[in-house]
Amino acid sequence: MLGQQIMSGLATGSLYALTAIAVVVVFRNTRTINLAQGDFSMIGAFLALIFLKSFGFNYYFTIFLVVVCIVALGILTERLVMRPIADSDWLTLFTATLGVYYILHGVAGWLWGRDTKAFPVTFDPTPVQILGTIVSEGHLINIAWATGIGIVLFVFFRFTKQGIAMRAVTDDPETAELMGIPVRFIVMLTWGMAGFLAAFAGILIAPIIYVSPQMMDEVLIKGYVAAVFGGLYSIPGAVIGALMIGVAENLAGGYLGSHYKTATAFAMIVALLALRPQGLFGIQKRREI
Amino acid sequence: MAGKIPGGALPAAVGNREAVAEQRRRFIRQDFMLVCLLFAVLLLIPALPFVKGWMAAQAVLVIVYIIAAQGVSILTGYTGLVTVGHGGFLAIGAYTAALLSKHFGADVLICVVAGGAMSALIGVALGLIFLRLSGAFMAIGTLGFAFFVGTIVNNVKVFEGREGISLPPNHVFGLPIGDIGFYYVAVLLLGLMTLFIHSLVRSGVGRALKALRDSEKAAQSYGVNRWFYRTLAFSISAGITGVAGALNGLVTRFVSAEVYSDIWYSVDMLVAAIVGGTSMLMGPFIGGVFVAMLPFFLEKLADFSFILKGAVLIAILMFAPAGVGGLIAKPFQAMRRRRLAEAGARAVAGAGVAESVAQEGARNG
Repeated sequence: MLGQQIMSGLATGSLYALTAIAVVVVFRNTRTINLAQGDFSMIGAFLALIFLKSFGFNYYFTIFLVVVCIVALGILTERLVMRPIADSDWLTLFTATLGVYYILHGVAGWLWGRDTKAFPVTFDPTPVQILGTIVSEGHLINIAWATGIGIVLFVFFRFTKQGIAMRAVTDDPETAELMGIPVRFIVMLTWGMAGFLAAFAGILIAPIIYVSPQMMDEVLIKGYVAAVFGGLYSIPGAVIGALMIGVAENLAGGYLGSHYKTATAFAMIVALLALRPQGLFGIQKRREI
Repeated sequence: MAGKIPGGALPAAVGNREAVAEQRRRFIRQDFMLVCLLFAVLLLIPALPFVKGWMAAQAVLVIVYIIAAQGVSILTGYTGLVTVGHGGFLAIGAYTAALLSKHFGADVLICVVAGGAMSALIGVALGLIFLRLSGAFMAIGTLGFAFFVGTIVNNVKVFEGREGISLPPNHVFGLPIGDIGFYYVAVLLLGLMTLFIHSLVRSGVGRALKALRDSEKAAQSYGVNRWFYRTLAFSISAGITGVAGALNGLVTRFVSAEVYSDIWYSVDMLVAAIVGGTSMLMGPFIGGVFVAMLPFFLEKLADFSFILKGAVLIAILMFAPAGVGGLIAKPFQAMRRRRLAEAGARAVAGAGVAESVAQEGARNG
């Protein structure tokens, strides 16, 4: 029972991690708390549903198409909304993404309706036994996808020119610009990456929570909690935060009752922030005068 | 601006300053008259023949949003802190009022005061935690608080979860009041809150808050106690939102977790504060009306109201960062600045003549 709870917690947590990483990447490169991150995923899930059901596309081709569309959506958001106000304070940026949230929410509700739709399950729902615990195959697939994406990101940030440039922008945008790094392009890339992660998060979580305009609200909030938990600047921190939240809420759901799931995540974060205001892996930034 | 008018020795500058001050006082009187006029209109509206009870109840809901936005604007506007969790304080106010009304049959005014006081108290405790956090962290922390309140009212017995608490009819000083009577109470409270915020931002406390907002280090080096003032601001803001919550619960005479665990309340309040324009008295009025009336007008087109809300929000951030209030006030402020400059210039010219006459006299005598 306990092993099973932990395992399915890790599976959900790995999906939260996709959102949490996107939150961190966008925040540290653009100072933007992106509230629309969940809705990128939501639009992605709806598109996937259409591609799979109405057009009858293959699952992997669908994933490819959705990733392309949502990356485009991320870049579009950056160009149309965020770039004109890029120099504003963070509250303005935050509120602008709230505007994007409302628009995407409204568009989805308008085009596809507010009711929940089932998402076709592509894997075998019968549980399998691994290491003495019973796990559903869906959970394993999700963990596998999330790990794969994690490796891709690691390689990107470590070995590619763009990835290194992106880290440079994180550390010090002004110096990066002086060094000839095209900061605007990197910011665009950042939003593209947010779209990339959102597409996967949406498609992978859709069979679990079903598809509706508000499907990602809670996931987004947990992604945020995870990101804050890890200190908002650290990708490994966000991943660890996401996994911890996944496990903790699953245990709370199992032993206290499902109502306490989300509250547990927040109780954790408030407790942590009270002790370490900069998050678990955060660095206490030098205060500017 | 007026200080930059050229010419005028010392005595002239004194005359200049007095004339400008006089002009300023005139502007303050004008503002005061405008606000009085607004409230007079608000108080007279129910006397119109076509006004029905439900309209008054609807109007109270708008007032609730205005007061809540006032609460948020104390933080975002005057203190420079961001909260995404004030829905929690709305809930605390509403439930405090509801429990008092249900179990003790308390007076509306007592319920409202208790709701505000309870929120303010909890605000002190939370302020001590949240004010350690900077910007983005604080936003997430306050959001967590709203969620937490939602879970509590959903699960703790006394709050009766989604079933909700139905309230007995409202009464003030022993007199039963209907929707229209309640509307008067709400307008009165709105007036009190507006007056309170007006005097707060002009008091020493308000100046300390603004100083902390503009430069924390500079303010601290002048001896402004950051902890004390920020916690105070958080608590006041929570208390005002609690008053809004109490009104909201009492006017609908029904309080349920379904409504108050919705964290988008919190977000709506922030939207109201920003759309209207923070750090100005007029802002919450405009923002509150916008946020409260949008779903009312577009009831059948809920999705469209979402799109409109988002588009308006983005447009305002791009083109009018000071909010709609700032946009409206801009030409008036420009006009007033011109008037002040003119008053200053006139004073200089007048004083200049007087001065030369005096000098002439001195030379002759």
